[in-house]
Amino acid sequence: MGYDSDLSFNYFGPTKIVFGTNAVREAEIEMSSLGGTRAVVVTDPGIIKAGLVNDVTASLGSRCAGVFSDVPQDTGVEVVNAGAEFARENGADIVISVGGGSVIDTAKGMCILMTEGGTLRDFNGVQLLSRPQTPHMVIPTTAGTGSEVTNAAVIMDREIGQKRLLVENFNVPRMAILDPKMTEKLPPLLTAGTGMDAMTHAVEAVHCIPHEPLTDGLALHAIRLLYRYLPLCIENGSDLHARGQVQIAATMAGWAFGNAMVGIVHAMAHSIGAVAHVPHGIANGILLPDCMEFNLEDAVDGYAMVAEAMGVREKGMDDTDAARAAIGAMREFTRKIGHPQKFSEMGVSGQDIEKAAELSLSDGSIVNNPRIVMDSAEVLGIFQKNL
Amino acid sequence: MPIKAMTQEWMDAYKAAIQADPEYKGIAKDWEGSVSLVVNPEPARNVPDPIYLFMDYWHGDVGDFVVCDKAKADSAKFVMTGDYARWKQVAYKELDATKALLQGKLKMRGDLPYVVRNIKTVNKVIDILGRVDTLWPDDNK
Repeated sequence: MGYDSDLSFNYFGPTKIVFGTNAVREAEIEMSSLGGTRAVVVTDPGIIKAGLVNDVTASLGSRCAGVFSDVPQDTGVEVVNAGAEFARENGADIVISVGGGSVIDTAKGMCILMTEGGTLRDFNGVQLLSRPQTPHMVIPTTAGTGSEVTNAAVIMDREIGQKRLLVENFNVPRMAILDPKMTEKLPPLLTAGTGMDAMTHAVEAVHCIPHEPLTDGLALHAIRLLYRYLPLCIENGSDLHARGQVQIAATMAGWAFGNAMVGIVHAMAHSIGAVAHVPHGIANGILLPDCMEFNLEDAVDGYAMVAEAMGVREKGMDDTDAARAAIGAMREFTRKIGHPQKFSEMGVSGQDIEKAAELSLSDGSIVNNPRIVMDSAEVLGIFQKNL
Repeated sequence: MPIKAMTQEWMDAYKAAIQADPEYKGIAKDWEGSVSLVVNPEPARNVPDPIYLFMDYWHGDVGDFVVCDKAKADSAKFVMTGDYARWKQVAYKELDATKALLQGKLKMRGDLPYVVRNIKTVNKVIDILGRVDTLWPDDNK
């Protein structure tokens, strides 16, 4: 595997990571290290019900400005606006998000409004900010999105029926606390779906055009950890060692794709999510093997490295054989962890995939894919294989 | 004879080059809306003040291509802002515009999915820009 002699890239990953079982009990101390004095905790009703916020609020004590828990599964502009208003009313100067992707993205939007004022509709564009935003500490309760270390957030604007994409280097979370206890109660299907989200981030970071040595290193180790430890989490959710390794892998994959980007798998998963509400991680997991097959000729080097990371490259295999072995192993891996195999299992119809195929071509991720995609028929073909 | 970059004469030449391109009309048939480029000042590179360029694109046709003031630039559907050196890199195709946006080297106000959907148009106008014989402010020609 080599890189171009004129290789040049920017790597950006400013988030501090605090890892350990019961690390959330350090929330107050860590908040102070970021200069925060009063924190608003952002979460959702399911997390509250599961009792996952209790250790955080107990740690914060009187420095907890309040808990904003009105975050739905797919957050929206109005949720962010309400959250920011809640934070302002309660005098918060730091945001702590406790939850999955929707909660983290809500908090990212709130951080902008708490610094810049206005409403989220005032921020339609890319890299518009010119100063650091309200500090944000993330405590993920799933291991998959990588959102704790990325500059992006996706927020639905129901008034116009479109998702808004925020991409802001000045709004990357300052810190993430990875505590294996926070993912201990995740049921097997959710563990598999979010785990395949992380796996897809890692594989796409390897095959996308902007990949470079730093992102490859992060992505390939994430693949090693996921391949080894995700099945253990499915077998025994209380295996905190395995849970922790998967959390670390998801964060490493987040750094990798946050810089090397994602490609056709995400373009398609975003689209089928918008059309038929298929959970993002599960859509990624269903699509990943066939999208690798689609990219094979343009990503042989990368997939050969993936095969090495998965331990399926045998002696005597050339890069193409190894790449094919990686694709086969990935397909088998999704079966082994009990991941859904077809979209029909999720109630998706033929009409849905036609719409989603069309939509995929206007998703920002598609431009980073190693194989250029110009025709929706190519995308539809992949969807059809997986219906 | 190279034309001084970011002057009205240069904008006229750029517009003419787009109009003369045999492929542009077909590639840009779906694009509608104006684009402004805001060039941040860099006195060390002989760009002492911000420069505002307004370009009107409409379904394969081109309208106003003018050096303008800030208010006119802000009225565009898409406003892209960057340092002078970055814009020069884009013109020479040393820097991919989409990558530059995602890395924060350029900023954009406007609908990113629309730009991605029409990425061939964006790449085409950048290709054509590279063909305009240009004298840049920091060139020693």
